[in-house]
Amino acid sequence: MIDPGGITQLDLPGPAIEGEARRPAQSYWNESWERLRANRIGVFCGALILILALIAIAAPVFSQFVTHFDPARQHLSDNFRSPGHPYLLGTDELGRDTLTRLIYGGRVTLGVAFLTVALSLTLGTTVGLVAGYYGGWPDDILMRVVDVFLAIPAIFLFILMSILFRPNAITLAAIIASVGWGGVARLVRGEVLSVKQRDFILATRSIGARDLRLIFRHLLPNVLPVLIVAASLGVGQIILIEAALDFLGLGIQPPTASWGNMLTNAESYFFHSGWLVVFPGVTIFVTVLASNLFGNAVRDAFDPRLKAH
Amino acid sequence: MIVKFIARRLLASVIVVLGVTAVTLTLMDRTRGAYVPGLDLNPALRPEDIARLRADLGLDQPFYQWYVTWLWNVLHGDFGRSMIDGSPVLTHILERLPNTLELTLTAVVLGILISIPLGVIGALRRGSKTDHALTVFSVAGFAVPQFWLGLMLILVFSVTFEHYGWPWLPSGGVTSPFGGGDIGDRLLHLIMPATVLSFFYLSLWSRFTRSSMLEVLSQDYIRTARAKGMSERRVVYLHGLRNALIPLVTLIGLELPGLVSGGLIVEVVFSWPGLGRLAFERALQYDYTTVMGVVFFVTLLVVAGNLLADVLYAVLDPRIRYS
Repeated sequence: MIDPGGITQLDLPGPAIEGEARRPAQSYWNESWERLRANRIGVFCGALILILALIAIAAPVFSQFVTHFDPARQHLSDNFRSPGHPYLLGTDELGRDTLTRLIYGGRVTLGVAFLTVALSLTLGTTVGLVAGYYGGWPDDILMRVVDVFLAIPAIFLFILMSILFRPNAITLAAIIASVGWGGVARLVRGEVLSVKQRDFILATRSIGARDLRLIFRHLLPNVLPVLIVAASLGVGQIILIEAALDFLGLGIQPPTASWGNMLTNAESYFFHSGWLVVFPGVTIFVTVLASNLFGNAVRDAFDPRLKAH
Repeated sequence: MIVKFIARRLLASVIVVLGVTAVTLTLMDRTRGAYVPGLDLNPALRPEDIARLRADLGLDQPFYQWYVTWLWNVLHGDFGRSMIDGSPVLTHILERLPNTLELTLTAVVLGILISIPLGVIGALRRGSKTDHALTVFSVAGFAVPQFWLGLMLILVFSVTFEHYGWPWLPSGGVTSPFGGGDIGDRLLHLIMPATVLSFFYLSLWSRFTRSSMLEVLSQDYIRTARAKGMSERRVVYLHGLRNALIPLVTLIGLELPGLVSGGLIVEVVFSWPGLGRLAFERALQYDYTTVMGVVFFVTLLVVAGNLLADVLYAVLDPRIRYS
């Protein structure tokens, strides 16, 4: 069991073993990090995500020096151009450069995904810690609320909220997170319930530690691995949700490009411009694939109990 | 024991349904002012006419009062009338329900029928090329956006095939507009949406069956069965698979909410006149009563599905009942 800062970390003076090298003491984090680094697929996918994120952040640089187009600039006489020169991935119905829009769309899509993860983790962890630690009626009430949020078919909730709030990137993240936190809360609560039973908590309490100290210094670090795993596994799913909402016209509104809303009208151009459907979809697919594989690697590294066969 | 278990779960379900409708209504309530955009601007309507219209629809009441009235009516089987066309909401729902069920049940059945054998093969030939191929397939299945998969299928099997004069698949609807409607026509329309919808379940359930099967096959009782000379077939299917499938029951039950929401996107992509698309289109038009009706109805199905899965699980695995 994971126990950073707990009893197992005490460096007890062991009997000196002659001639036999003792395994150097390694913290849980070091070990997990080593395991993650040894996973080649995981490292590759993590690097890919990082590169995509960097490209998205540096989008203006790319449009200036690589694609030479502005994402919103329309070249009406050049609409529906096939991939080639000078439009590397072709243009859309308004003659906008597809590659530039993909790069700018990455900003929105990845930004929303990371923000959503951050929001749902914060809210979910808080609720889970409180419910798990205090138990009793706060637990009952909070968990019934979670039940309700997890029972509403999520897409209806997204649709209603999107119609109400006409989202930009930040509100869209809040909307998606408003459903995602429920799962995190359940997860954290379960973890807290099991950690709470352990002796080091009793020991800490018996030397007079207060609730807040127990929660933040002792419970939270023990829940952290589960959170890291949940976060890295969540990114891919959130990108899929966000793309679907954008596609339905409920997420990021044009003219701002996002990977999902680039596909909204694609159906009308099927006949002559199939690539307008192919490129954004492939981008989403590859990104989600890399996120999921990286998430799996993180899970295997940080939570060996969960390792799939 | 089991009665008490069911009763407890039933109570929790009722609370959930009430909570869901309350949340939905709170959200919908914010759109009230927008009901029928342009109503306030119509010069032919005097202010008192508008007030009367609003009063007819109960829009002048505070929303908790509206909620209680609505709940009371729903409990008596009256889902109210659509705010757009005045037709009974229940009629709309019952009209769309068979289409949604046709799609989702086909997808689930396809998913179960294909994923379980795939999972068993993966587990029995662990580490083989087949196993690796299945893993790649399911990892890809998790990552592909459902709506995009639908678009690509349309692009290939409808647009391109038609372009080259090959037999092509219809890209939308339940039946052909003219003269369609026989069973072959319906099946032809069902192929692509059902494929897209079952794709995700295939990836999910085949992975799950595989790891569940591996877990079971490493148990002592499997070794015992083998040791007493039972044929491998019997060991795998009678002792292995039967136990490996127990957790899958819960998983399938838990996926029911996802089934309806996943269904919504597929319904939109393939212009499938189902419940999800009804809710989606009516929500865009601020049709309060219809949206409430559909959400209530779907939540009821979801909660019933979860309840059923719980009970089935308790029946299949007695350890659950007594904990």
